[in-house]
Amino acid sequence: MAKIKFIEFSGKEHDVEIANGTSIMQAALDENVRGIVGDCGGSCSCATCHIYVDESWLDKIEVKSEMEEILLEEVCDPQDNSRLSCQIIVSDALDGMVLRVPEKQF
Amino acid sequence: MSESNATGEVYWDPYRPDINLDPYPYFKRLREQAPLYYNKEYDFYALSRFDDINKYFSDTTTFSSARSDIMEFIKEDDLEIPDGMFIWHDPPRHTSYRNIVTRVFTPRRMNELESKIRAYCARCLDPMIGETNFNFIDDFGAQLPGGVIGMLLGIPDEDRDIIRDRIDNSLRTESGKPMESSQSSYQGEGFEDYVEWRKNNPSNDLMTDLLNAEFTDPDGVKRKLTTEEVLIFINVIAGAGNETTSRLIGWTGKLLGDHPDQRRQIAKDLSLVPAAIEEILRCEPPGPSVARYVTKDVEIHGQIVPAGAVMQFILSSANRDESRFADGEKFNIHREGSPHITFGRGVHACLGAALARVEGRVGLEEMLKRFPDWELDMANAEMSASSTTRGWDSLPAFLR
Repeated sequence: MAKIKFIEFSGKEHDVEIANGTSIMQAALDENVRGIVGDCGGSCSCATCHIYVDESWLDKIEVKSEMEEILLEEVCDPQDNSRLSCQIIVSDALDGMVLRVPEKQF
Repeated sequence: MSESNATGEVYWDPYRPDINLDPYPYFKRLREQAPLYYNKEYDFYALSRFDDINKYFSDTTTFSSARSDIMEFIKEDDLEIPDGMFIWHDPPRHTSYRNIVTRVFTPRRMNELESKIRAYCARCLDPMIGETNFNFIDDFGAQLPGGVIGMLLGIPDEDRDIIRDRIDNSLRTESGKPMESSQSSYQGEGFEDYVEWRKNNPSNDLMTDLLNAEFTDPDGVKRKLTTEEVLIFINVIAGAGNETTSRLIGWTGKLLGDHPDQRRQIAKDLSLVPAAIEEILRCEPPGPSVARYVTKDVEIHGQIVPAGAVMQFILSSANRDESRFADGEKFNIHREGSPHITFGRGVHACLGAALARVEGRVGLEEMLKRFPDWELDMANAEMSASSTTRGWDSLPAFLR
């Protein structure tokens, strides 16, 4: 279980308790966090669940696959702290993580 | 909803023209009374609830695409699907081919096309300024998507209409009847000359990229696509990108014609356009249901769906499921909450979603800039029947 803060582009915040093993994309959709779309449902192929991870948490997340690297070059407004939220799986180690939703996914 | 439909046996099939005109009361009953529905007449199962489709649609080991995603084809005994027809492959074969085009249709690249799409819209719409009669399909929906795909592929403008008509006809069903699989062609006839020519005249277009792409094929061999595979890719892309987007433009005209108050809000504030396109895609998906081949017995809602069966995933029903979308039957561009499931789920989720969205968005903006007000001429509108899409073949309107 981890408590995670989502900050929408509008500034609206969601503090969500998420069970281990759940993807951040799924948790965001369940919580109606605006701006996460996730067309492909977490199969790392659509690039519509882009999210910014607060820097201090980046090394606690599993490293990117080759496909995620490719897709992250293709999102709107990519940054060094960009990730696809479907590829971030919640564990106790992520307790307290802060995530920011980009202005747009497409 | 007619009384007999409200009280009689729960029924749905994708062929009946009267159901196709307004399938939503039928879907509502499926969701409520037969969440796992079996149709005896055509021998298929159907899922209609959001949660079920969200859960099962991406399970490619149970619900396979390897016998296509069209019910009539899945049932063919001697169906042969050529290598490279990637929308009809399962992983890992699918992965190997789809990876070739992963970068092509991404949000960033599609948004880069925006100015070209805008210019193409102007070419379609400017000649209509001052006219009273406008047809959302003939004058716009039938023009824009083929133009954009042709632009991507590097096909000259004058040849695009011929290619579009050939593809659309290959997927059209006679009203009320299933599709004949023999009528469809996915081998890319009509593009051979361009591909041959493009081999010797490379350019900055998708056809050249496909000819040059190196990939690791399903047998682990690193190679380029064969000419046959390039033709199949082109045919998949052209086929998937034409009629569906034309339908999206038709539904945009219809839904905003039916809801002038919301249309006026959008015309006044174009920042509402992206949300409006998402709501149009939710309410009226151009591809309302998609079929899969069931590879093994699976229990759903206490009933066994046997291996070998056909499962229809009714995306357009899931999009109105009240347990997911409050007031799901209502068109509301200000809707908050869950995204729709129109582009599918899982590894087969629509590759061209970002392109469809940018065409829908730019198309609506350019429409509203010139024609903020219209009234539909429904007496002369025509809905079409197809095993893959649902929408308007003709949607005339009076411009105000």
